[in-house]
Amino acid sequence: MAHQATETEFTLDTAAELAAAEHGRETIRGRSPWYLAWRRLRRNYVAFGFLFVFVLVLVACALAPVYASHVAHTGPSTNHVLEQVKVNGKLTPVVTAGGYIEKKTGKPCVVSGTGCILLSAIPIGPTWFSGGGRFVLGADSNGRDIAVRLLYGGRNSLIVGIGSTAICVFFAVLLALVSGYFGGWVDFVITRFFDLFYAFPVVLLGIALGSALAINGFHHFGVNIESGSIWIPTLVISYVLIPYVGRPLRGQVLSLREKEFVEAAISQGASPLRVMFSELLPNITSSVLVFFTLIIANNIVLEAALSFLGAGVQPPTPSWGTLISDGQTLIVTRPWLALAPGIAIVLTVLSLNVFGDGLRAALDPRAKVKIEH
Amino acid sequence: MNRRHTWKWLLTAASLAVGLALIASACGSSGNKTNTSGSGGTTSGGTASGGKTFANFRLAYDTGIDYLDPGLSYTVEGWGIMWNVYLPLIGYKHASGPDGATLVPYLAKDLPKVSTDAKTYTFTLRSGLKYSDGAAIKASDFAATIERDFKVDSPGVGFFGNIVGADTFGKTKTGHISGITTDDATGVITIKLNTPQGDFLNILATEFAALLPASTPAKDQSTTPAPSSGPYMIKSYAPNKKAIVVRNPNFDAAQFDGNVPSGNPDMMTIDIIGDDTVALQRVISGQDDYDFHQLPPDRLASTQQKYGDQIKVYTPANTYYFFMNNRVAPFDNVKVRQAVNYAINREALVRIYGGLAQPTENVLPPTYPSYKKLNMYPYDLAKAKQLIQASGQAGASVVVWNHDRGTDPKATAYLTDVLNSIGLKAKEKVINSAVYWTTVGNQATKAQIGFADWFQDYPHPLDWFDVLLNGDRITDTHNNNYANFDDKAVNAKIAALKKEPTLTDSVNADWASVDKMVDEQAPWAAFMNRQFTDFFNADMDLSCYVNHVLYQFDYSSICHK
Repeated sequence: MAHQATETEFTLDTAAELAAAEHGRETIRGRSPWYLAWRRLRRNYVAFGFLFVFVLVLVACALAPVYASHVAHTGPSTNHVLEQVKVNGKLTPVVTAGGYIEKKTGKPCVVSGTGCILLSAIPIGPTWFSGGGRFVLGADSNGRDIAVRLLYGGRNSLIVGIGSTAICVFFAVLLALVSGYFGGWVDFVITRFFDLFYAFPVVLLGIALGSALAINGFHHFGVNIESGSIWIPTLVISYVLIPYVGRPLRGQVLSLREKEFVEAAISQGASPLRVMFSELLPNITSSVLVFFTLIIANNIVLEAALSFLGAGVQPPTPSWGTLISDGQTLIVTRPWLALAPGIAIVLTVLSLNVFGDGLRAALDPRAKVKIEH
Repeated sequence: MNRRHTWKWLLTAASLAVGLALIASACGSSGNKTNTSGSGGTTSGGTASGGKTFANFRLAYDTGIDYLDPGLSYTVEGWGIMWNVYLPLIGYKHASGPDGATLVPYLAKDLPKVSTDAKTYTFTLRSGLKYSDGAAIKASDFAATIERDFKVDSPGVGFFGNIVGADTFGKTKTGHISGITTDDATGVITIKLNTPQGDFLNILATEFAALLPASTPAKDQSTTPAPSSGPYMIKSYAPNKKAIVVRNPNFDAAQFDGNVPSGNPDMMTIDIIGDDTVALQRVISGQDDYDFHQLPPDRLASTQQKYGDQIKVYTPANTYYFFMNNRVAPFDNVKVRQAVNYAINREALVRIYGGLAQPTENVLPPTYPSYKKLNMYPYDLAKAKQLIQASGQAGASVVVWNHDRGTDPKATAYLTDVLNSIGLKAKEKVINSAVYWTTVGNQATKAQIGFADWFQDYPHPLDWFDVLLNGDRITDTHNNNYANFDDKAVNAKIAALKKEPTLTDSVNADWASVDKMVDEQAPWAAFMNRQFTDFFNADMDLSCYVNHVLYQFDYSSICHK
């Protein structure tokens, strides 16, 4: 509906405008809810700051191939076990030789002996900027560049996180609209479907599905997904979280269904599809947007958890979860292996959560949107 | 519940009896003496433990137990527990070093009488033996045990294929194996073979031939443990969590002429821990007494520095290798298999395993007299690429299989990278270790290439070539020949050498030539012989430590300080 320029509009954000009007300084103009939300959001510098952090992570991960080929000169799965790298001009082994060695001769000892010592095989630590761009964050036991794997891992984690969120939100919105609009037995069936999934803890359900599909992949209903595919964790995560988004949205649709504008549309002969997508959907869009940002963060953490437990992204494909899993074996001598992906997860999730919270406050300050497991 | 209460009483009574026996033996009245090993190790041989018994030995085990059913288990982890639980007619001396390879009678009175044509073996069961549930051990249980192996589709059935009638029984699984006759009244067991078999005694000493009551159901008994015949019995087993092993109340070491010691721990609590670092920490902090896991590569030096006296390093007869399925493209092409052998840098793989290994391309480990070092495939990436191009298989899709335990997944991460670098299109498939061997050993899986390792079942080249590389022994499920290697010349050579009763110099030379023949066909890319560590809590007295040539650390031997 078009706003009249002279018409005063009372919204939650118009107090300042009203004051201005009282003093007769300027004419109060009508604003769309989206404009008002944007105005509220842009005043939230903290949210914007974290959005910047997220975009930074996004860009860095997107540029992983560029970094790998032009800076680190290696791929995410390339092994450099026996190679040496120049650090501060000095040749350093990527992985040191360990084993059971005779102290005097340096030859391998076959059985326990007093003159033999155990040496650890330790990968190179962070070279920062002294290695000519190679092994900036160090290497793992296979001599793979951690910085490269971190960026590629981030790409995969973000693809899984964003992809699963898109799929999850799409189906959750669809089910919420159908359930809320039609009500009756349709609502009953969809709600029971939600209840069924609520009955299982998300992580356990994710592990069960992820582990089962990790062996043979998914080959049903004409859909063929190979076992190592990144689609498996993406679909598993989206599947298990549908009720967590769908249920609160259904509540909103149920409430909106009783509003006059919906009744008016129906009385004018609008089809169910038109009512759902032209009347109801625009009114839940703000909640959907907020859910979207929060669910991405949630899904990145869930992907990390599943991959850490071997039910998510499959090796040697890196993801932040698999990198933490790989790094735990060297946590004492090379803590960066696990810390770096851990920090990346914290930064990404924190930035998305803070921005999501800001978005929620901007779009609908009264709304109580949260994800509960 | 009632049965458990009964066991408590029996255990108490048995403990008293064992205690009295210990006192008696300590006074020198028993004729059973403690054996000593020739390798500088100590043994727990003898019926008594010399007053070194203690309440509970806690082990931080790994997740490698496949089954705790002697008919089904085929892992070091499974056998390590069961060789003190389920006894065959004959077995190995509980001793460190080469002495441990000596066969001694367990449930049988003596080593068997072998006919002059070397095709008939006759045993007599010791009298008065009982299972842990009190039932008498009968000669007919032996026949039932071997038949049960066939019924449960045991990975060990291939060992018994030479027994007369075994093939027919394997197909029909009805009736009996005609080549095994038993007499419960006299305890006589007679086994007839189709042809002489040089390693048959060793086969009878495997866990697959360990006696179970004839009434034992022909299905996995891991979680409902079958009655035991050895010094211990499995009280409970929760897969991937815990196993509890306690003394067998009906076991009397005095009946075994010192061949089966009663053991020192009254109980063994086997905590199954998935992570090497966690297992190490549990032992350091005193939650467990022994760490079955390898010490994590990055903790070797620091652990040596702080707890050097509590570590034992040993090299069991083992070979780590990548199998290549000869029945599935692209590995049905010998050039591709040879390319993989050229492409892998064995030194790199050793380093991935923390340096605790020696590179190899032989099937046989260097501890064998038949071992003759092969160096057919020195690291040559360019040659590997050439071979792939020449094979016409460039760009072929390859799935590299592995399990998810320990350092092993890192080996296939390396292999996958190598395969991609030589022009194949490889990706990894890592599955749970509990189902890995069954999965890749199933023909339906069509596993193209993957990780495998082998630790000898008995010290004989047949345990390597006949079990792992004989084309005549390929099975549809529980197949040990993961490469499906079936070379007529090799099969014929194995069949001929199988008849040799002893490993003379010329026989050993023949086995070395088989090693070479196999390497030329490259069904495997063997890469290392691994060293292992045993790590103990400070409370344990390592002067009792026994490292057996087959079963490695003998848990029953250990004692407290």
